[in-house]
Amino acid sequence: MNHLPGTVLSGVGIGLSAVSAEVFRVKARVSSGQTARSGSASEETLALTASISKVALELEQMAAGAETSNAEIFSALSLMIQDPELFAAARVQIEKGWSAGSALFLAVEEFAQLLRGDALLEERAADLKDLATRVSAELNGVGIGMQVPLRGRVVLVGEDFYPTDIAQFGKAVVGVIASKGGPTSHTAILLRSMGIPAVLGCAGAEELVDGQIVLVDPAGDRVLVDSDISSATQSINLVAKSFEPLIPVRANIGSFEDAVRASATAAEGVGLLRTELLYLSQHTVPSIEDQTKSYSEIFAAAPEGPVVVRTIDVSTDKPVPFLSVDPKAALTPGYSLLSDNREFVIGQLKSIERARELTGREIWVMAPMVDSASEAIEFAELARSHGQYKVGVMVETPSLANQVSELKGKVDFVSVGTNDLSQFLFETSRLAPLSPALMSPWQPKLIQLLEKISQAAQAANISTGVCGESASDPVFAIVLAGLGFDSVSAAMSQVAAVRTALSAVTLDQAKDIAQLALGAASAESAKAMVLGALRQS
Amino acid sequence: MALHHASVTVMDHNGLHARPAGQLVKLVNDSGLLVRIGRAGQELVSANSPLRVMALKAKQSDELVIEIESDDPAAAEALVIAIQLALEESK
Repeated sequence: MNHLPGTVLSGVGIGLSAVSAEVFRVKARVSSGQTARSGSASEETLALTASISKVALELEQMAAGAETSNAEIFSALSLMIQDPELFAAARVQIEKGWSAGSALFLAVEEFAQLLRGDALLEERAADLKDLATRVSAELNGVGIGMQVPLRGRVVLVGEDFYPTDIAQFGKAVVGVIASKGGPTSHTAILLRSMGIPAVLGCAGAEELVDGQIVLVDPAGDRVLVDSDISSATQSINLVAKSFEPLIPVRANIGSFEDAVRASATAAEGVGLLRTELLYLSQHTVPSIEDQTKSYSEIFAAAPEGPVVVRTIDVSTDKPVPFLSVDPKAALTPGYSLLSDNREFVIGQLKSIERARELTGREIWVMAPMVDSASEAIEFAELARSHGQYKVGVMVETPSLANQVSELKGKVDFVSVGTNDLSQFLFETSRLAPLSPALMSPWQPKLIQLLEKISQAAQAANISTGVCGESASDPVFAIVLAGLGFDSVSAAMSQVAAVRTALSAVTLDQAKDIAQLALGAASAESAKAMVLGALRQS
Repeated sequence: MALHHASVTVMDHNGLHARPAGQLVKLVNDSGLLVRIGRAGQELVSANSPLRVMALKAKQSDELVIEIESDDPAAAEALVIAIQLALEESK
């Protein structure tokens, strides 16, 4: 059945600008089925070697014609199809009596099984099957080139497009719709860098017909049938209306190099100095002198404003060699870095204090992965006994989020890590990746918890900040300011954009926008309502 | 031939996916050395096979052991350092 005009097909949008053009359908490739070999095993093996080399050479040529990040994709594909173990597996199948092409498919299937269960790797397995199809076409002497129009403007519609297909797109391809594929696929990466708007994973793409006009609307994550560009979701363009943002925008850093780079941004101080990197390459605990030197260099280089230092976080990122902590154990309830590695934390606190004295900077110190008010108070007391800095904790678990009022008079500030908070809130293990939908900071449940934290902290006279990834989203930063947070800390590359957003609205507008997000029924509607309100303001 | 053992840690938040696996294989191929890689206590796989390396499904902060056949300890050590760099977080 064909889609009626105005039908909306949703998917994952790639790119920002919308485009409207005629549908051009690309047929799915048909594999020829398994065939027995006609020649001897050694003849088939030889033919397979030659055909794999030919396809690998084509991939290298695609790599040479592409920009760096895309070139890496084609190089990786070239290595995959030339994998010696894949070849060995195919040879076994040839010995069993299969033709070279069939043998390669059987071998590819073996490896596809091994790559099952991981979304990224499954996409690579799909790439590998595409490469095997090309080798097989080479073996059979048939061309596989997709028939793509070279003139006019078309939106290509198909089941899936592989990197090797996209390399052949000409200027006539102005948009892409595929029923498969996701935001992290090679296809998405290539299309994004080529500036071709697309909607992938689009159910209903099969029913689009040649010649039909469609609007590819990536900002709205949708395709509109028989619609022109006037129906496109407007991307938001925030214009600063005041010199100073509603709340300070700080930068997240992890090294001296970062501190230097951050000082070239408009960041007011550092909202998160991750200290793990300083210790990663060390196999023994560095001396207080060495640590003091590292901190002093960073403090001196950091952008003007307070520098918030997070004591070592063993549960994230990378294991620290000399702290024999299993990152998995660090995630179990009741784990406390403070009780297990107290001496190390004290050394860190002493070094930070010495560096503070040496540089004269305003330093705030906070502990990560604190699960209860009592643990937070224990850290605060320990920190105050070693330095004159402001003392706080990160709020990354729902249990601490609900105990913020108990911290009154004990800590000076709290900083919310929204990434971890949403992981815990939606009860998934930190080690298992959360679905992209739940990772969205726009989840009403998360926004409600953020409001609760902000209100409890305000009542207890505790300063609040957010240093999670959500604070790097300019529009979400407006919501955070509206919820009453006192500062945000963003990725260095986002500092300017977040500042602009926070300079584009008044505090009352931000509060209204936060209320809209709080009242939304879903993450999608929260985001859509906030964007709609900002467009009108 | 002497066997060198070392361990490396996957830093990329996507784990040991196609790009770092490809870089690792390139380094191994360029070195001309026989290298095996895997999880401690499990059977190691040939490090010149990007598919086997990806099939380890190593995630961020997973530790992997490397076994290098070489009579030149300096060459083996240089390769280990280069491999660790290939496993760093992508920019």
